[in-house]
Amino acid sequence: MKKKFAEDPTSQTTKYKYEGYTQSKRKVEFKKAGDAIAKKRGISAYNPMVHMGGIPLGQRQLTPYTVSGTDITVEGDDLHFVNNAAMQQFWDDIRRTVIVGLDTAHQTLEKRLGKAVTPETISNYLAVLNHAMPGAAVVQEHMVETHPLLTDDCYVKVFTGDDDLADSIDKQYVIDINKAFPKDQAAQLKKAIGKSLWQAVHIPTAVVRTCDGGTTSRWSAMQIGMSFIDAYKMCAGEAAVADLAFAAKHAAMVEMGNLLPARRARGPNNPGGLSFGFIADMVQTNRKYPDDPVKSTLEVVASGCMLYDQIWLGSYMSGGVGFTQYATAAYTDDILDDFTYYGYDYIKGKYGVGKAKCNMDVVNDIGTEVTLYGIEQYEKYPTTLEDHFGGSQRATVLSAAAGATTAMATGNANAGLSAWYLAMYLHKEAWGRLGFFGYDLQDQCGATNVFSCRSDEGAIDELRGPNYPNYAMNVGHQGGYAGIAGAPHFARGDAWVASPLIKICFADKNLAFDFTEPRKEFARGAIREFMPAGERSLIIPAK
Amino acid sequence: MAYKAQYYPGKTSVAQNRKKMMDPAYKLEKLRSLSDDDVVLMLGHRAPGSAYKTAHPPLTEANEPDDPVRKIVEPIAGAKAGDRIRYNQYTDSMYFAPMVPYLRSWAAATRYRGVDPGTLSGRQIIETRERDLERITKEIMETEMFDPAREGIRGCTVHGHSLRLNENGMMFDMLQRVVLDKSGKVFQVKDQVGDPLDRKVDLGKPMSEAELKKRTTIYRVDGVAFRSDDEVVGWVQRVFTLRTKCGFSPKV
Repeated sequence: MKKKFAEDPTSQTTKYKYEGYTQSKRKVEFKKAGDAIAKKRGISAYNPMVHMGGIPLGQRQLTPYTVSGTDITVEGDDLHFVNNAAMQQFWDDIRRTVIVGLDTAHQTLEKRLGKAVTPETISNYLAVLNHAMPGAAVVQEHMVETHPLLTDDCYVKVFTGDDDLADSIDKQYVIDINKAFPKDQAAQLKKAIGKSLWQAVHIPTAVVRTCDGGTTSRWSAMQIGMSFIDAYKMCAGEAAVADLAFAAKHAAMVEMGNLLPARRARGPNNPGGLSFGFIADMVQTNRKYPDDPVKSTLEVVASGCMLYDQIWLGSYMSGGVGFTQYATAAYTDDILDDFTYYGYDYIKGKYGVGKAKCNMDVVNDIGTEVTLYGIEQYEKYPTTLEDHFGGSQRATVLSAAAGATTAMATGNANAGLSAWYLAMYLHKEAWGRLGFFGYDLQDQCGATNVFSCRSDEGAIDELRGPNYPNYAMNVGHQGGYAGIAGAPHFARGDAWVASPLIKICFADKNLAFDFTEPRKEFARGAIREFMPAGERSLIIPAK
Repeated sequence: MAYKAQYYPGKTSVAQNRKKMMDPAYKLEKLRSLSDDDVVLMLGHRAPGSAYKTAHPPLTEANEPDDPVRKIVEPIAGAKAGDRIRYNQYTDSMYFAPMVPYLRSWAAATRYRGVDPGTLSGRQIIETRERDLERITKEIMETEMFDPAREGIRGCTVHGHSLRLNENGMMFDMLQRVVLDKSGKVFQVKDQVGDPLDRKVDLGKPMSEAELKKRTTIYRVDGVAFRSDDEVVGWVQRVFTLRTKCGFSPKV
């Protein structure tokens, strides 16, 4: 708080200077840009003086934000996803990914066509595929193709739990589970997936930016199909090709986000269909910091808040100025970090991590203690309250801390989810306020649905997602729920949360975004140090 | 009734104040006087002295169908006349304001008829027929429900409930709808959406810190800590536990 505010963080008063937007370099930049745009095109643009009553933003202090877990301080505007290339790439890297099994295809090749499938043929197939997947031809003459430099982020790797097979395939194409994960996590993952062989497919960022997430499985399947034809010398269009196509597009395909129903109206691989357990698996912090489950949880919370609040609800489902600060409350200024580490120390001392009984007494105890601690921190440090100026922000942070620590204590995500709702009730009674309108339904009815078995109400937290009925419309929640999904697993030392396939798929240094350190990447994006993929400089006039 | 409503648990001053505000039998203490025109000016929905705009003809002319509910429910004055639905909205500072948003809504539900309350964290709104709104607003702003430094009537741009106070003890307001002058009194100079008033409205002197702490309905660690009110915390945990168990299975 001392970096953000000049005064003593415990002081309850300050002098308001009503300085306006000129306090902020970024907003001054915006004003200059707005003036230039208006002049150039002859239509007015950004103009802070049209704010309500002709009074611009900045009558109070406009404060910067330190991205939690880093020492990088940024302007708030640089955490809007439109202004942050790293945030955009985080989502691009997810929506351009599908996982496609190879076993079904190999069985077709071997049993139906009598073709040999060996590590050598697999390596050759992958060489063909890594040529084809970005958008190149492998079978037909006189084809026009994509430029490799526009699609250089596109590639395919494979992974398997069979060490012998993994060692036999050309190493450039293999995600080495043994190298990527700590030993015990690697053992768990290999046991879970066994000898099956999977492709981690990442189509070009430029393609998903032009099309959408629903393109990914189709683009992938097209090029997988053509590559099989080339690599295994098939007739281009013989009946067996249909089996391979069906496997690549459907039967053996794992998408990142499910198709959404008409009222949300989005195809597969869009954020609305991305479950909390899946996003917890995409974040890779727990393999880099296996002994710090809180850090892993916080990185999932940050990722979830950014994706679900800023991009999904803040743009796909609404738009405009958006919901940035509902999300940033959970990943800036180390406030959530402080509350969660406090809770973690509490549970370590009282119960042991992952050792608490899974009952309502424990939920009540941990949920109450962590919530009251957080409330008292806001009361003791007025600058913290001012930083989280919105009740929704505080509600998210308090409940996320209570929920995550209860989940870590019990080793159970739904116990954590239960504590989230207890935190909301306590918060409401303490201060006589909670968040925006939507919190009344979601957070005061949520307790009844945590352990419900009814189809529209119940599900384990790992398999809930943005389209879970009561969660679908409100910001400030989905990221926290994702963190709660991950927390018990990280605490128990589990290698994955919902899907070992997804966990392994994203354990890949070649991805444009570093999924082991999401918050640091968001900060790099804010200070304009992150280079995204899919840049069009090659094909546009030079400035 | 088989029981007498208790309205709120707890024996701390905060709990007792919440109980009083919710209990319609409790007569709110008047702390200042406002004229009807003062209220109309601050609300900003019509010019003082102008007729109420209507959304429909008076009910006596409406030829409504025969309906048992219409026979049971006596329309409020504004409904009878066909007034528009208008609103007031308040922001309460977290630094010992007399009221807190949920309590405003609970009190609106227990004390007033025909009122639609909405509760958020930085603001609380009621919507009702215009002439009834004016009556209710006058009561709120003349009594202990209101402090001119720690509460504000704000239709928009409400930012301030969680901010540090100004050095003079006033809650921050981006639109500067009120001013504290040298006399120590607070004057409303703009209406609730920030349009300048033709004349300022005298809201009187703010309460002292001691009085605010006595009257407040917010728990704070530097006042009455929430943690210290065992009965309230205990009831919250009970309600939470019962709802959770019932959601799993009512038999449990």
